[in-house]
Amino acid sequence: MIDNLWLASALWIGLALASALISIRLALSVALIEIMVGALGGNLIGLPLTPWVNYLAGFGAILLTFLAGAEVDMDVVRRNIGASVGIGFVSFLFPYLGCMLAARYLLGWDWPQAQIAGISLSTTSVAVVYAVMVETGLNKTELGKIILAACFITDLGTVLALGIVFAHFSAWLLAFAAATAVAVWILPKFAPWFFARFGRRVSEPEIKLLLLVLFALGGFATAVGSEAVLPAYLVGMALAPAFQRDPELPHRMRVIAFSVLTPFYFLKAGSLVEATVLVSGAALIALFLAMKMATKFVGILPLTRYYRFENREGMYTTLLMSTGLTFGSISALYGLTNNIIDQRQYTILLTAVIGSAVVPTVIAQKWFLPKIAAEKQEV
Amino acid sequence: MFKRIVVANDGSDGGFRALALACDIAKEHKAKLHMISVEELPNFPASIDEIVETKTEENHRFHDVLEKAHAVAKAKNVKLDAAVVAGHAVAAIVARVKELKADLLVVGFMGHSALYERIIGGTADRLVRLAPCPVLVVK
Repeated sequence: MIDNLWLASALWIGLALASALISIRLALSVALIEIMVGALGGNLIGLPLTPWVNYLAGFGAILLTFLAGAEVDMDVVRRNIGASVGIGFVSFLFPYLGCMLAARYLLGWDWPQAQIAGISLSTTSVAVVYAVMVETGLNKTELGKIILAACFITDLGTVLALGIVFAHFSAWLLAFAAATAVAVWILPKFAPWFFARFGRRVSEPEIKLLLLVLFALGGFATAVGSEAVLPAYLVGMALAPAFQRDPELPHRMRVIAFSVLTPFYFLKAGSLVEATVLVSGAALIALFLAMKMATKFVGILPLTRYYRFENREGMYTTLLMSTGLTFGSISALYGLTNNIIDQRQYTILLTAVIGSAVVPTVIAQKWFLPKIAAEKQEV
Repeated sequence: MFKRIVVANDGSDGGFRALALACDIAKEHKAKLHMISVEELPNFPASIDEIVETKTEENHRFHDVLEKAHAVAKAKNVKLDAAVVAGHAVAAIVARVKELKADLLVVGFMGHSALYERIIGGTADRLVRLAPCPVLVVK
């Protein structure tokens, strides 16, 4: 089966289809279901991780990160620069340091492994936060916009850490940084012109241009020991204003990403989970989850007081900023793929990341929902 | 006896049976009739796109539901105040009932999807337990 390319493809796409149908039936995120289905597949039938699967999964992670960067609303960040940068930076820094030090000194992990633990658990899930805010109507309030902008800053911190911490410091790194800076500077002006001149054709020159930039910078990044998602996120951020003016292009890219690329990434992420570790490592999973939430509280809650949030809003904001999923899983998988952490540590970190998508959200919605009327609309 | 009635309609056949009966009761009691429909978004999503696209699809679906509901109410000569909210069905409906201080909630028997409802019980079961007013479940 592993040797038969098309049967192996059918197996992976079959699992992706099953995940999509389950997610629709249960009203749960397709990514979360793909990770779970991948974990079942990996442990029950041993999903084959061939080079082409790894390629598609890596491509999926790059595109996912690029599209996440393209979702950043720079106007919102600029309008709320003080609170969003303050809360977002602390939201990254405290769990990064707390989880890294806990892994190093409580568990005796070596420094690179502890770094992966810190980075994986420093994240905030913009998507989880956004979903909750749409349900509560908070996305249209100033508080909601500050929280969302802070999430973007936290993700930026995570991506920068992942891209810089493991990079080899050399002249090539400076060249990579320069190339990324040039791309980020030129693309917001060049890309809209290129899209207008050559876009909206069946051959999709605009998507090819973007993929060229992402692959070239990604190749540059991995050559210097950095991570391809770093330039992808930064290029996404640079193009965010252009994409928000014309959302048709990112929509087409999302269709490509979510239909044939990200399923490979999330299924692969799940397939590498060791089922036995979920039991034997339960205490460590709980420790990391508790450490992530505790450090987010220590960092963010006082800031919400400083920025004069109400008590309930402050708790709600802190809990939402304690969530994580996509970047946490990307960071943990980066550690495993590059042999920085082993499969047991990966399982512990990924499960703690998934727990952080669920536990803070449930607590926030159950006990700390701000008194804001749910969005009501006449459609 | 009833002054303010809320009917929950998810667009299913059960939801429209509930609406039809709610219209009859509202007419008989000269009560105000409010309809609520709830868009269920995916829990714990991985990207904002999942939310935006699900919400767009739900908006389209409930656009048709609202049009059909207004037609049903008009045919029965009842004024209908209809709203669509995003969130969890049970929590959103109970919140709406409390907000309006409704004295009757009318719901259809079918129509639920979320995992927690599967585990804890159907939407109608939970509304019977959690609503602060009498609940009429229409089969």
